[in-house]
Amino acid sequence: MLQGALAGLAAGGLYAVLAVCLTLMSRLVRVVNFAQSATGMFGCYVAVYLSVHAGLPTWAATVVGILLGGALSALLGWIISTWLAEADIGTRSAVTVAVLLLLISLSFILFGNKPQPFHPILDGPAFSVNGVVVSQVTVVTVVLSVAIAVGCRALLGRTSFGLELRALSERPTTAELMGIPAKPLAVAVWAVTGLLSTLVISIVAPSQSNDATSLSMLVVPAAAAALLGGFRRLDLAVVGGLVLGMAQGAVAQVDSLSVVRYFLPFLVIVGLLLWSQRKEVWDVAR
Amino acid sequence: MSRAESGPLTRFGVPLVVTGAAIVVGYLFSVGLDGYFVYLGMSAIVAGIALLGLGVVTGSAGMVSLCQLTFAAVGAWVVSGLNRIGAPGGFLVWLVCGGIAAGLVGVLVGLPALRLRGINLAVVTLGLAAAADLTLVQIQFPGTVDGVSVERPESFSDDRGYFWLGTIVLALCCLLVHFLRRTRWGSGWQAVAFSERGTAAAGASVRTSKLSAFAVSAALGGVAGGLLTGQVGLAFPASFTAMQSLALYVLAIMSGAHLIDMAVFGAVLWVAVPELLKRWGVPQDWGFVVFGLLGTHALTTGGNLGTAVRELWRRRSKEAAGVELTAPPAEVDVPPPGEPVLVVRDLSVNFGEVKALSGVHLAVPSNGVLGVIGPNGAGKSTLVDIISGFLPQATGAVELDGRSLNGLSPTRRARAGLRRTFQQDRVPAGLTVGAYVRFVARRRLSSSEITEALEFFGCPPARTPLRRVDVGARRLVEVVGHLLAKPKVLLLDEPAAGLPHEEHVALGARLRQVPARFGVSVLLIEHDLDLVRSVCDTITVLDFGQVLASGPQAEVLANPEVLKAYMGETELL
Repeated sequence: MLQGALAGLAAGGLYAVLAVCLTLMSRLVRVVNFAQSATGMFGCYVAVYLSVHAGLPTWAATVVGILLGGALSALLGWIISTWLAEADIGTRSAVTVAVLLLLISLSFILFGNKPQPFHPILDGPAFSVNGVVVSQVTVVTVVLSVAIAVGCRALLGRTSFGLELRALSERPTTAELMGIPAKPLAVAVWAVTGLLSTLVISIVAPSQSNDATSLSMLVVPAAAAALLGGFRRLDLAVVGGLVLGMAQGAVAQVDSLSVVRYFLPFLVIVGLLLWSQRKEVWDVAR
Repeated sequence: MSRAESGPLTRFGVPLVVTGAAIVVGYLFSVGLDGYFVYLGMSAIVAGIALLGLGVVTGSAGMVSLCQLTFAAVGAWVVSGLNRIGAPGGFLVWLVCGGIAAGLVGVLVGLPALRLRGINLAVVTLGLAAAADLTLVQIQFPGTVDGVSVERPESFSDDRGYFWLGTIVLALCCLLVHFLRRTRWGSGWQAVAFSERGTAAAGASVRTSKLSAFAVSAALGGVAGGLLTGQVGLAFPASFTAMQSLALYVLAIMSGAHLIDMAVFGAVLWVAVPELLKRWGVPQDWGFVVFGLLGTHALTTGGNLGTAVRELWRRRSKEAAGVELTAPPAEVDVPPPGEPVLVVRDLSVNFGEVKALSGVHLAVPSNGVLGVIGPNGAGKSTLVDIISGFLPQATGAVELDGRSLNGLSPTRRARAGLRRTFQQDRVPAGLTVGAYVRFVARRRLSSSEITEALEFFGCPPARTPLRRVDVGARRLVEVVGHLLAKPKVLLLDEPAAGLPHEEHVALGARLRQVPARFGVSVLLIEHDLDLVRSVCDTITVLDFGQVLASGPQAEVLANPEVLKAYMGETELL
């Protein structure tokens, strides 16, 4: 059980980073980005292609892939903040559903629908606890998720840049009237979350099931984790991601529970939604 | 111009004739088409039924459902399972069972979605689709591993016959959706998509509306899945992936699948786009890329194929319909107001530190009109919200005809005979005036009754689509609907807002006759003092959340305190 839970921690770190990205997007640019992990997947696949077919060194290919993930995300953000600036969160998010479909099918066309021959960036054990090995990937993703959450929190809470971002998310029109450049800031948020999710997927993908659909559907457990923080709190998003990953790892140890493992994120989502919305009754205030 | 809706012969006859014609065309196709096209056509039929379901849940009821093919998988599972154990009844019975089972799963998934809206439901359904994807690959469908293929019904056993069966099922599903959309359920779907508060205020349950939409959609998905199993013989997980569910959703948005013809057209696209790509030697995955691009475009521009085509069609003929309130209404005897029918005692509510209302008393006389006036921010709309049950945290007592309404939901209060209208537009644009009035009235109405009431308030005719009715007129249609519900009391929240000022007095003359004509007592909130003067016998004045004065009109309007609050001190000098 402990071994399974620790093995699941790498995935947990991945969920946590993606959940932090989802939370940031939802808070700052009013989108639940269903294409969050698909963007990362696409960047990673391009990186694999560059290193296998174009002969680029792994690190260089990975950097290009991460930059591409950021650029893709920024492009999507530019489209949404140009044409759907005033739309509600539902419409804005529905666009990302179409983009999710687009990215998966595009990757089928360009790279086929088999898992990719990833070169691991990090490999091997970091240390062991009671004879249970903890891999480098696990350590890096967990540290990364906590670092990103703490970093974002400090950025949002302590800097004037963060203040502008919060103003923009809470009172977009007032913020624009005060001369805060809304669109460039929104696109920047999209770009950064694109970079982060591509980075963490490049680290974890070599040791996971890494076909295009599996990687794109990582957005489901990530959303479950983000829901623990109500798409508002970064700390709870990280905790949710890590716990969900460990729970899935632990359940995976028992063969008869494998179906439960698949349904775990779904059940967590339903449970959290029911709990968090138990009081809210009406769609609008008046 | 006739104000009546179309008669029952047109309402029931035309869809039945169209369905019959579709079945005949299906038969002609099944014998006339090349074998390969019959096969493709069958795939389009399956997609068409699934899209029809998505049209109900996303198009009509405005919810995002990303797991339509998971429901199809439930249908396929049931059909192949019943076939595997040799259940009695044969394919058609199994197909119906598959639809029902999928509908039940839809209810189960929909239950948490009752209080969830928009994007949360999308997260839930995507989670379900992803989980079902992995699970199906692992456990497979019954009969697939041992190769027991599903038996088609005898008279439709070959591919051509089965195609004809498919067209019959599709045509029946279209007919079902067509008629369902004209029932209270269907109006409820449109209403809940536009406004939950408006739905509840009409005495319809938001819960039932959402759940029925989700269940009908899932059941149609189940039928599609069962039909697919009969087509292939064996069910495979690859037919029900989350990817394809996403693509169907995008296609439904893009084509406007809440319109039945567009669902069928979307199904043709679903098959034709990959097929054309194949013929041109392009990999078929580009089909989903095309759908993704078109879907992104449709979502960013907020339009879809179906409405675009219809707009082109309509543009030539018609413009927005408004209110015609010129002629004064026929005189009726206005009976004197009677005993109080709605009594409000000691009503208070706080929003944080702000005391929005404190200790408000008022009484609406039977057969009378009570005016509630007060400056902006006096708490008038909050008062209506509390009385109609939208602010359960408020304290105090609300009694209707001697019966306490405390603790009842807005829906229950509306059903108990306490109705309200909204200051904002809460009228769903997808319905006709007549359908909306019937939905709000919640009782059997004759066409002449509706026509008469609409004419009395100068509203557009019953068969006008609400999307072509201007905002001022929509709000009067709302008033008409609630009056025809024959409640004991109707709370009107600034009904004249949105009308030109010269029509305010004409509206006032009609409101004055409401108790006599409709047997409904009225609480009228209004800014326009001329209107209030012409309608209300008694007036209650609110200021800063408290009752400033209350009593007969002349007395209250002469009260210097009231003048001060209402006009400001400078005007008194």
